[in-house]
Amino acid sequence: MFDAGIRQFRMALAMVLGRPIDVRSAERLVEDALATIAEFGSPGEDVEQLLRGAAADPQLRADLTNKALRRTAGRLADKSLFYAEHFEAAGVDPATLTVDTMGRVPVTTKTDLVKRSRDFLCGEPFLASRTTGTTGRPAEVWYSRYEERLWPALVALSQVLRGNVRTTDLVQFNISSRATGTAYAEMQVARMAGAAIRMVGLVPPDETLDLTVGTDAPAPTLMVTYPSYLGQLVILARERGLGPADFRLRRINVGSEVLSPALASAAEETFGAPVHDGYGMTEVTPVAGAICAQRHLHIDAGIGLVEVCDLETGEPAEPGALGTIVATPFYPYRECMPLFRYDTRDLVRRLPDAPLTCEMANVPATSHILGKADHVLSTHAGAVMPRDIIEVLDALPGARWPMRYRTDVTDGRLRLELAAACAADNSPADIAGRLAAAGIDATVALTDAEGHQLRRYRCDLVEHSFAGRAS
Amino acid sequence: MSAAQSVFFTLVTLGIALGVSLAGVAYFRLVTLPRPAVGAFNGNDMVIMMGFVIALPFLYLALPGALLPPVLGLTLAGGLAVAYGPVVRSARLRWLLIAALLAADWFAARTAEHDPTHALPYWLINSTVIMLMAVGAANLNAQGGLRLRHVARFALALAAYDLFFATAVPITQRLFDAVQGYAFAPSAGLRVGDLGAVLGMGDLLVYALYSTVAYKAYGRSGLATALGLVAVFGALLPTLTPVTVEALTGHLPEIVPAQIFFGPAAFVGHLVLRRRGPERRMADVRPPAPVPASVAA
Repeated sequence: MFDAGIRQFRMALAMVLGRPIDVRSAERLVEDALATIAEFGSPGEDVEQLLRGAAADPQLRADLTNKALRRTAGRLADKSLFYAEHFEAAGVDPATLTVDTMGRVPVTTKTDLVKRSRDFLCGEPFLASRTTGTTGRPAEVWYSRYEERLWPALVALSQVLRGNVRTTDLVQFNISSRATGTAYAEMQVARMAGAAIRMVGLVPPDETLDLTVGTDAPAPTLMVTYPSYLGQLVILARERGLGPADFRLRRINVGSEVLSPALASAAEETFGAPVHDGYGMTEVTPVAGAICAQRHLHIDAGIGLVEVCDLETGEPAEPGALGTIVATPFYPYRECMPLFRYDTRDLVRRLPDAPLTCEMANVPATSHILGKADHVLSTHAGAVMPRDIIEVLDALPGARWPMRYRTDVTDGRLRLELAAACAADNSPADIAGRLAAAGIDATVALTDAEGHQLRRYRCDLVEHSFAGRAS
Repeated sequence: MSAAQSVFFTLVTLGIALGVSLAGVAYFRLVTLPRPAVGAFNGNDMVIMMGFVIALPFLYLALPGALLPPVLGLTLAGGLAVAYGPVVRSARLRWLLIAALLAADWFAARTAEHDPTHALPYWLINSTVIMLMAVGAANLNAQGGLRLRHVARFALALAAYDLFFATAVPITQRLFDAVQGYAFAPSAGLRVGDLGAVLGMGDLLVYALYSTVAYKAYGRSGLATALGLVAVFGALLPTLTPVTVEALTGHLPEIVPAQIFFGPAAFVGHLVLRRRGPERRMADVRPPAPVPASVAA
């Protein structure tokens, strides 16, 4: 108890002062959390304060954020060739930067990252993670040893205290092998949390389903995957006549793509486990978010600064307006290849300036991710977001997820072509009617085009094995 | 030692030792102490506590006489405020009661200093303060997840400590003499006329701790074992030993450290209880409430 208290104090002090966090101490805190749960069955009452921080005075929070911002910018100006030039070109002195003046620093784009990758390095690289490239050219991000030990410890601590990972769990990891940072972190989290982990990857869905079926020990209790891959698993499980009684899953975590309520509901009915949607991005790790019951995206403000910037002006979006998430992970959480004001192009709507009433009301929130900003369709009737379309298509009766389609705007009107194989018995008129009911004016056609000619999903990164093939 | 003194000594010691043990268990059953988000008491905490046990006597002896009561008083006030928060929820009322209790202790000690006929009120009040502290401290540990195996090892270490500091480096007697009659003296007892009986606060803490944790770990059978050990090895043997030694040798020992009897017995008691199976956890005794949605999210 006493040593656990000392460790918590040391970690809190490092976080407040912005000094490197003692990784071993953070790892031992996970052990403390496991011992606490083993003894008491749950963490103590003030666990929320530990996980999300005490409800501090707004002025104090603003001061801490400004200090973290200056600390991060100062380090970047010293160590990153890209940012030394970037700040100088913007005429910004990192030592005087505040939340109010940081808008003078132009956002960092994915193009910057791809073109000048080496100029972002600030520390000794250990592990490179490449983005999937489903939205363009993949970017490569390097992490240090410190980062690759710290993040899993912080995640494991949070997950253990929330009861999201237990020592009795078997985690099944169905994420692309390109996401090395995520894979490495997930393995470390499982190790620290005392759980087992099966790194399956994005193998053909029938192989994954074979591993997932079962109510005994070899079957997983937790699954981590993409919504599109989950959709394929749901379809396959239904075709095999499988239901909740055939699985022992207790939680499914998805992210990196739009998850529709229809698909989440279908997965929950089929696998008998709640589906949790999360937000994270290779480039801005460890800044991450969770979706509440009211479908807000809540991003913890302690680890980094998240702005919602207007798509046209780059200024902070007005309440209720669309914007792109611009994220700045703080030092000491990000060390090797940090990014400052990175434009994720993830589209959200700023929430109205009213108190939140959801279960995560004390964490800043935006709307759910609406898609990538570059995929917004401008029609006469207004902007149409990828989420708007996916939610309607996913909810079609008999839909075969993931829904393969392509869109364009002709004469100011949305034109949508849906793969006939996904449409089931829904006619183009039925689909257009459903889109209209959701406020989207569109002409709809069915197409026999192949998957690669239509909207791409992460499940398309499937990794084949020799299993089941003729020798 | 007269027969009356011997009987008085034995009965008072037995009453206080069993009383503090039963009070510890009653508190455990009736009151739930808050606990931090992360952390359970473990062997490391016992090592730290042992460090305090070793260091505090030297600190007490090093302090000037005038400083000793304030230091002890502040320590007791802090301990009581933490341990009895759930009992008296109003912080204002709690501090008022603690201040009143400690003021009464101080006043009774000062009065007894000038007029020995007031020794009885002093002993009653001071004993109440010290027993409340022992019960609270025992529960902070027991409800914090301390295991019986840790307490048994602690008791064994205390036995070695007591033996060493009662014989090789006789600090126990010096400490006993130094704090006697002071306000907030870390001991409980009773003095009526020529008859007197005193137990150190450390002894009381060990009895309350062992009994409460044994109850937590093994339920009623654990408690029965603990009370038996406290009665025999914590009260009867230590109080009957001086008179026996005097009868055999003609020399009355000045002090007989109780832990040299209780420590090994407590350890053996733990080994016996362990054969019943694994210790109950706090989760078995008090099943946790479901995790709130705001935390699980």
